[in-house]
Amino acid sequence: MENDEKKYEDVIKALKGLQEVNAPENFEADLQRKINSEKFSKEEKKSFWQNIFLPTRLIPSLGLVAAAVVIFFVVDTNSEEMDNPFLIEPRVREDIFVVTDYEEFESKKEEEVSKQKSLKKDEPVKNNESVLGKRRDESELKSYRDKMVTGREKSVEAEGLMEEKNIPEDQDDNVEAYFAAESTVTVDSVSPQPTTATVRSSETVAGQSITKEELNFRQVQLTEEEQNTVNELRIQQVQSSKSVEKPKK
Amino acid sequence: MDIKLRELSDEELILEFQKNNTEDAFNILVQRYKNPLTNFVFRFLGDYEACNDVVQEAMIKVYRYKDSYSSVAKFSTWIYTIAGNLARTEYRRKRRRNIFSINDYGEDHKTYDLPDESYRPDVITDSGIKDEIIQKALLKVKEAYREAVILRDIQGMSYEEISEILVVNEGTVKSRINRGRAQLQELLKSIYKE
Repeated sequence: MENDEKKYEDVIKALKGLQEVNAPENFEADLQRKINSEKFSKEEKKSFWQNIFLPTRLIPSLGLVAAAVVIFFVVDTNSEEMDNPFLIEPRVREDIFVVTDYEEFESKKEEEVSKQKSLKKDEPVKNNESVLGKRRDESELKSYRDKMVTGREKSVEAEGLMEEKNIPEDQDDNVEAYFAAESTVTVDSVSPQPTTATVRSSETVAGQSITKEELNFRQVQLTEEEQNTVNELRIQQVQSSKSVEKPKK
Repeated sequence: MDIKLRELSDEELILEFQKNNTEDAFNILVQRYKNPLTNFVFRFLGDYEACNDVVQEAMIKVYRYKDSYSSVAKFSTWIYTIAGNLARTEYRRKRRRNIFSINDYGEDHKTYDLPDESYRPDVITDSGIKDEIIQKALLKVKEAYREAVILRDIQGMSYEEISEILVVNEGTVKSRINRGRAQLQELLKSIYKE
């Protein structure tokens, strides 16, 4: 021990020779002030629970709760409306059916029209109202025929078959069938069961979802000759229908 | 009363303060220990402002936790332990704040000490500067050794007291003191040559 102290004699001397560092003069006053301030802060110190339930500290938590409630009511997770629209299978429209075989569809329509025609021939016209209704139908039929004629002519022109401009009589049935299929107007005066017929036809047409307006025939400017031919056809048609009605009366 | 209190030993004063909450007893203890503690803490920290704060904090702890003092131990040991702990905490905080390292330079990741021109022997002129050099050398000594050396060679405490303050056995205290002195001698070579 003594050897160690001799060994480091210089160091020990240097350390012991260091000037003493004293506390500042105002040390006690500062200390007293700090102690008093600590006492004061001690008195004011609130408990843990008091600190937690301070109104100012509750504001953020209340805000959070309010936000959670709003989200809960606005965003209903069980609602079907919130399903991902990209994952929902599209609804199948049951009122639409697709016609795959057009020839079959045409033949059915022809059958229906022929039935109607036969019924028309059998049943007499009973009152004036029915006559008026018939006339209205005829006028519509005429307009339809006009369209048909113009359409046919155009198609014939396209094929280079302009020789035959008049529509043969046997095609009138088809025209009527088209008309019956397209028209939603009832023809009570013409037949005793027109309602059923029209309903059926309209259903079939609805299957194709084609309306009169949607047929979109091409509007062709007829020459005078063509127009005359069409008019003659119209007159013939009206006369023939009148002649059918008269004997029945 | 004041004269009577002044005649009491440290242990008697703290007991008086504990039992009767006599603030005069505490004030006498403050008067007795403010300078030795300031000296100890300053030599350990090397910063007077920080040293002042640490000593005041130690006194406040004595005031607040007077009941935790046990009459088995010496009062000086207790108050030095408190001051030593606070000084160590402050020193570590300061070191973290003011750390200047060039660790990230170079391949070996070694720490390099920058040469301080103020240590040059030709600059040393008087005892004031000598004191400063010794203080700076002291601050370069390892923390544990420095504390033991200060308590022994500056404060003049016994090995037993130091072992109680540092809460280590006497053998460790002696070893730390020797190592601290050796480091200091190495650092202060230039002064001795002069």
